[in-house]
Amino acid sequence: MIFFFILLALVVGAQIAEFYIPPIDWMCNAHIYIVPVIVFYGAMALPFPLMLALVLFAGMLLDSLTVQVIGSKVEISMGWSILLYAVLAGIMHGLRPLFIRGRWEVHCILSGICTSAIILAQYLMITFRRGSVFFSREVWWQIGGPGLMAMLMAPLIFWTLQGVARLTRYPYLPERGHFE
Amino acid sequence: MSRTSIIALLIFGAILGYFLSFGTDTTRKFQSTVYQWLAPLFSTGSGLKKQITTVSTQLKSLQELESQNSGLQVENRQLRATNQALRDVEHEVNRLRHALNYRERSVFKLVPAEIVTRDSSTWWHTVTINRGKEDKIDTDMPVVTDEGLVGKTTTVSNTISVVLLVTDENCKVAASVEGTREQGIASGERVSGAVAPLLNLNFLSKQANLQPGQKAYTSGVGGVFPSGLLIGTVKSFAVRELDGQAKLTPAVDLSHLEDVFVVTGRK
Repeated sequence: MIFFFILLALVVGAQIAEFYIPPIDWMCNAHIYIVPVIVFYGAMALPFPLMLALVLFAGMLLDSLTVQVIGSKVEISMGWSILLYAVLAGIMHGLRPLFIRGRWEVHCILSGICTSAIILAQYLMITFRRGSVFFSREVWWQIGGPGLMAMLMAPLIFWTLQGVARLTRYPYLPERGHFE
Repeated sequence: MSRTSIIALLIFGAILGYFLSFGTDTTRKFQSTVYQWLAPLFSTGSGLKKQITTVSTQLKSLQELESQNSGLQVENRQLRATNQALRDVEHEVNRLRHALNYRERSVFKLVPAEIVTRDSSTWWHTVTINRGKEDKIDTDMPVVTDEGLVGKTTTVSNTISVVLLVTDENCKVAASVEGTREQGIASGERVSGAVAPLLNLNFLSKQANLQPGQKAYTSGVGGVFPSGLLIGTVKSFAVRELDGQAKLTPAVDLSHLEDVFVVTGRK
């Protein structure tokens, strides 16, 4: 349980940190997202009910801090990020047996893909509201860039969280107990 | 699926349904509450970032010094560090003096604010400022600098507010172009790969023939932005099928904003 609360605290910390991380110039100013990687780690490491609680918290935080209420309209209603996180984390949770066996590489790749999927879903939602659907090079970078960065960051974040799990004696550890 | 998981799923569904049923006002209030809770963390983060920037600047000076005379290295380091600190203070004093002058000569009632965070999301261009309801800030108030228009407030909590930048596609500003009778709507681009995104000035007449360098000001139509605030300068003009469109370079360098003013009324 301590590990779960540590993950919640890390989600808050990462969400705040994202505000201070400048976008990457050479990726058409794509942003770096850390929270999804932590949430997807939680999806693999936590049991189903706690995974849902983590998803609920992270989604609520994301919606509260990023979604804009302009005049009398909200482009993405509160709760959509929770739903997105839940679906994607559910997929990750389904691959948990692989994670328990100590196979992390699939999850690292999936973390990147799921991070991009969240941003793509957001883009589609705002596009349908604003009209004129278009996919330029910049759009693809803005969607793919964060996923790529998440994929690169995932091994380090997973390894760190694995260490935290070990320190807190969290029982759901991979059998091999080390990153491969 | 275990019984616990099913119960958890049902509770999750109920909470999700509750969030999805939020209207505009409830969303705004909820967001404002979350921002208020996190305000101390934002302030701490902002302070930390400033310290890190200062340290990294000083480290650069140290690297430069290493290549110089080794005998004077230690003394040089000290002098450079002191100099850097003084330059920072000088910059701060100049910035504040500039801001104070603008505040005094402005025709608007201005509340000075500092940028606490920059946008962290991909699809919205926003910044967070360290002023809120306690400073009589409300939603849809224009935010400016002495150089021109910055944006408008959206979510406002007690001590912190979110400002939607003029470069966001949703921030639509009624504009008029100097030296012409042309009126249009300026708004940002949905996606831009540039550090300093351009603005689109739409719904101009096809015959507008705007020239680079011409200035676009707020026209005051719409009620949110008072007239006469500089939005940007024309970079190019193109005729489209139904109207003319100009690309504007924003008057304010939004990527390096430090201080802004919220317009709370006229003097």
